[in-house]
Amino acid sequence: MVPAELLKIAELIVFPGFLFLIVYALFLEWVDRKFFARLQNRYGPQHTGWKGILQPWADLIKLLAKEDITPAAADKTIFTLVPIFYLAIPLTVMFLVPILGANAYLSFQGDLIVVIFLFTLLIQLVFFGGWSSVNTFGIVGGMRAALQMLSYEIPMALAAIGPAILAKSLSISDIAQWPSRLIGLLSNSSMPLSIAVGASAIFVMAVGFGIFTLCMLAELEKVPFDIPEAETEIVGGWQVEYSGKKLALLRLGGDIELVAASALMTALFLGGPLGPWPIPPAVWFIVKTTICVLIISNVRALFPRFRIDQMTYWMWKNIVPIAVLYIVAVEMLAAVI
Amino acid sequence: MGKTEEFIIPVGPQHPALKEPENFTIKVDGEYVVDAKIRPGYNHRGIEKATESRTYIQILYLLERVCGICSICHMTNFCLAVEEAMNLEVPARANYIRTIMHEIERLHSHSLWLGVAAHEIGFDTLFYYIWRDREVIMDLTERISGNRVNKAIPTIGGVRRDIPPELIRDLRKGLDVFEERIKYYKSLILKENTVLNRAVGVGILTPHDAVALAAVGPTLRASGIKSDVRADDPYLVFDEIPFNVMTHDGCDVASRVIVRCDEMLESINVIRYCLDHLPDGPIRVKVPVIVRVPEAEVISLWEAPRGELIHYLKSTGGTMPYRYKIRSPTLGNLPAVQKMLIGNYIADVPIIIAAIDPCFSCTDRMTFVNVNTEKSWVWNNEQLRRYGNKWYQQNS
Repeated sequence: MVPAELLKIAELIVFPGFLFLIVYALFLEWVDRKFFARLQNRYGPQHTGWKGILQPWADLIKLLAKEDITPAAADKTIFTLVPIFYLAIPLTVMFLVPILGANAYLSFQGDLIVVIFLFTLLIQLVFFGGWSSVNTFGIVGGMRAALQMLSYEIPMALAAIGPAILAKSLSISDIAQWPSRLIGLLSNSSMPLSIAVGASAIFVMAVGFGIFTLCMLAELEKVPFDIPEAETEIVGGWQVEYSGKKLALLRLGGDIELVAASALMTALFLGGPLGPWPIPPAVWFIVKTTICVLIISNVRALFPRFRIDQMTYWMWKNIVPIAVLYIVAVEMLAAVI
Repeated sequence: MGKTEEFIIPVGPQHPALKEPENFTIKVDGEYVVDAKIRPGYNHRGIEKATESRTYIQILYLLERVCGICSICHMTNFCLAVEEAMNLEVPARANYIRTIMHEIERLHSHSLWLGVAAHEIGFDTLFYYIWRDREVIMDLTERISGNRVNKAIPTIGGVRRDIPPELIRDLRKGLDVFEERIKYYKSLILKENTVLNRAVGVGILTPHDAVALAAVGPTLRASGIKSDVRADDPYLVFDEIPFNVMTHDGCDVASRVIVRCDEMLESINVIRYCLDHLPDGPIRVKVPVIVRVPEAEVISLWEAPRGELIHYLKSTGGTMPYRYKIRSPTLGNLPAVQKMLIGNYIADVPIIIAAIDPCFSCTDRMTFVNVNTEKSWVWNNEQLRRYGNKWYQQNS
């Protein structure tokens, strides 16, 4: 028998740890690029590996080999630390989200709060990255990221708290198990009532899922909220001075952020890596997160970029009230269940 | 409010929003544009000077390369100027074929612009779709002239290629497809709120400013002023063709989009009229290989897709012009851009600049101005090279 500690370490490094996450993140980048390209009537990557599946790898390796320039005027410590943390933080988030089974690698009461905090920290990093590069485009990009955060953070937190109220727990692993518990609960009670409760739960959760997806688009800096890096306006924004290894880390970090965002969407609203049929949880995880990425790509292809003032206005005027109403509905639902 | 800090954002000479090098120095306060300075001159190629040492047939192909998008405009306008100076009568069929090519060029130029505009506001999906449909026009251009970019179809005294009957049939079919797509995009842009958010009320140019700053082309017409060389001073066969000058009184980026969409639909009608009324006969008159132009001074006006294009030819007799001067539409629109930029957001800068459909390689001229004495002078390439070498010897 292999000692339990060794298994735990293998889990940390290989599966579902660093190696799996990096491979999976690059796979999801390919899914995103390919699907996005097909929506735009393009082919997307197609020459590296089967249908271009190795293209994200090629990009990453190429960037790692490129010259790494730090601007003379930049604040070198912060400038160097930002890409490292930008990769480390999404990886940390991944250990708090269940992948292999009902429970995450690390799971404790309140880890939802930690995850929301880590997502906020990411935007702080973006701000520091733009600011420390001492480039006008970088500074504008960093400012925009901070402004954007002010407008989507509250609806994001509200949307994430909804399932927590229903599950009566602040642990993501508990929340992920909640839909299966609810189904068990409903199948025991009388038929018309359980259908009514189930339908309203699905409706309320769909609203929460929508809000959370929008906020994740802003968090990931994807169209229509790619304002901090708007290529045609401020030339890549806060990333403009990064090159070589640092840019490779930023890109990989962004990909893992995409995995983390879709994993969180899955865990909070889609029942995590659990499903009705006896299929291994890892497969459920891959299927559900891929669906989340496809949703994100689809929204990306639909809209032009918002302007920062329009985005702030729209978020506070429409999404925040909807999020508050959603919390009210969740409370009412929690009282019934 | 306390004292706010302004800082300067350079847009260009190298910037993703600009397809050609040009410098816009934008002074911003937070996200607001307070002031803008435009500095052309990064793309000087010395074409005007080069014309003075070439024969007229050589110039024809040199001027075609002034601009990759409106090659027909520069080429045909040059032909018109030379034919005017030589008192040459061009066959009617040639004039009709020139008109067809001219309007096809407007279609491809405007649809290219529409795609670029979508890209500038971050709507890449629309960009890819429009450019896919633009291929219809590009393929037809290739069928007619044999080329996609530098069509080389007009020549002094007529055109080099005829349009055979089976091509006319395909041309009509292609136009039907393209018309339907443009109508669809126009309705989509007018309905889609996220697009309108970025275009309505952005880059305002009042009719008064538009006239005062001498804006031209769709930029002027989008400020509600009915001005089009084709209608005001008809050339080719535009005095025979019924067509409307499209205007819109929104004065903003959205109305520039609408004007260009309407112009495309109108151009399609012009081409259809030309195809219906295409006269028979020869497509060119013979001119000697070495064209001799008598002493003359000609100004030739032309409505390029971007606006009024002025060619000036001065000949003192002989095989080469004494002076050839081109005023391209972008130069006419640059003062207006500065006006449009002030008071908007940084995010609007790319779409405002793009809204005049800038083409800087056509625009750049080299003039040196000493700011202290306000004396200006012009150097040719050789003088500049010598000056540059001397300067580096002294300063290194």
